[in-house]
Amino acid sequence: MIYLDNAATSFPKPPRVIAAQEKCMRMECGNAGRGSHLLAMRAAERIYECREAAAGLFGVSSAERVIFTMNTTMALNYALKGLLHKGAHVLLSDMDHNATFRPIYKMAKEGWITYDVFPTYTNDSHRTAEMICQGIQALIKPCTQMLICAHASNICSAVLPLEEIGRLCNHYGILFVVDAAQSAGHLPIDMARMQIDALCAPGHKGLLGPQGSGILMLGEGIVADTLVEGGSGYQSLEGDMPAEAPERYEAGTLPTPALAGLCEGIRTVERLGVDSIERHARELNSYLQKRLLRLPKAIVYAPHHVGSVLLFNLDGISADTVGNALNRRGICVRSGYHCSALGHATLKTPIGGAVRVSPGIYNTVAHMDTLIDALQEL
Amino acid sequence: MRDFTQKKPCVTVIGAMTQAMRAQKVLAASSIRAEIIKAEADQSRKGCSYALSYSCSEEWNVQRILRESGVLRGRREDGGA
Repeated sequence: MIYLDNAATSFPKPPRVIAAQEKCMRMECGNAGRGSHLLAMRAAERIYECREAAAGLFGVSSAERVIFTMNTTMALNYALKGLLHKGAHVLLSDMDHNATFRPIYKMAKEGWITYDVFPTYTNDSHRTAEMICQGIQALIKPCTQMLICAHASNICSAVLPLEEIGRLCNHYGILFVVDAAQSAGHLPIDMARMQIDALCAPGHKGLLGPQGSGILMLGEGIVADTLVEGGSGYQSLEGDMPAEAPERYEAGTLPTPALAGLCEGIRTVERLGVDSIERHARELNSYLQKRLLRLPKAIVYAPHHVGSVLLFNLDGISADTVGNALNRRGICVRSGYHCSALGHATLKTPIGGAVRVSPGIYNTVAHMDTLIDALQEL
Repeated sequence: MRDFTQKKPCVTVIGAMTQAMRAQKVLAASSIRAEIIKAEADQSRKGCSYALSYSCSEEWNVQRILRESGVLRGRREDGGA
């Protein structure tokens, strides 16, 4: 099997990640924050280590600002529903994932908020950070409370200039929330430098950890309302959730084995280097794109953005037909709309969407050659 | 593990487990060994809180380090010592 769907979830996981998870399940899997006995403390230590590792990688002011969620979608829902006030206006980008769009759409439909979609000019090979910021500025209203956007697209390799957008948000007093589903572990992110108020990331993609390990990182002074209430192992006689992060936001038992694995995943990313990981994927997709464009039927979307995600179609063959045919040849890619209605509309893909190729750290040029050979047979 | 044959240790209530972990690390960086324990009920009126247990010979240093690092300033447990 050749796995080229790392934008959905990275596979295979590094052996160290699997070993850390297994060790945790065998020897450390008490319930963190529930008692102070040996096993509960081992679990608490694993989880705290993971908070420290995430804080270090993303420039979070302290480990306590690192909150674990099930996935990025949960983290984004927390940021949106926990931070927005009734009557607020929100800006999101025209490349955002449904994890951002759907909660906003629902809140708007129910009359809680209003929203506008700002242009990212992803199809424009000459786009600049200034153009994007001007597009945002034109949509800011007195009641705009939040700007939320995906750092890197999940359907092409376009990346938004976080530093410039963060500066703009700070200038207007707007909360800046970033969906790092595709960029965490691939691109450098520094919450403090980029003036990000809430950063949402998956553990199971670029951070090489297991599924069930999402992260919400809150900037200094940012306090969100709770979405889920319950036991936190702290202040148990009170009806209210505790005021302090992360316990305030982490009702119920945390997935200690998943977080032990995630911690090792983050350490692996740091050992390999974020830049090297992205360079490897970019080189593979650059090679693939060159070969792909020699096929007469191939259409590559936003080809000027070369990075870890490549989106294409074969003219006259539906994306799902291509995906199914590649699967029969042992090649895993993702076809369809990739949970990104906004992004596909922006890139103007046809009905049925397109085919996405997203290589990871274990892929090679030979895998790309095999993919091209398979496509030539279609 | 605590050695119960030794003199009774000093205890400072910190609050949540994550804060207690942080406090323990801050002290460890100054070579002060502290153990995380459940705080006694009379030290945590709101119920279920964590505390640090350490040698009383370090009491002054512990209070200073935790204050300077913001751990004690940040805790909200009303019943804390």
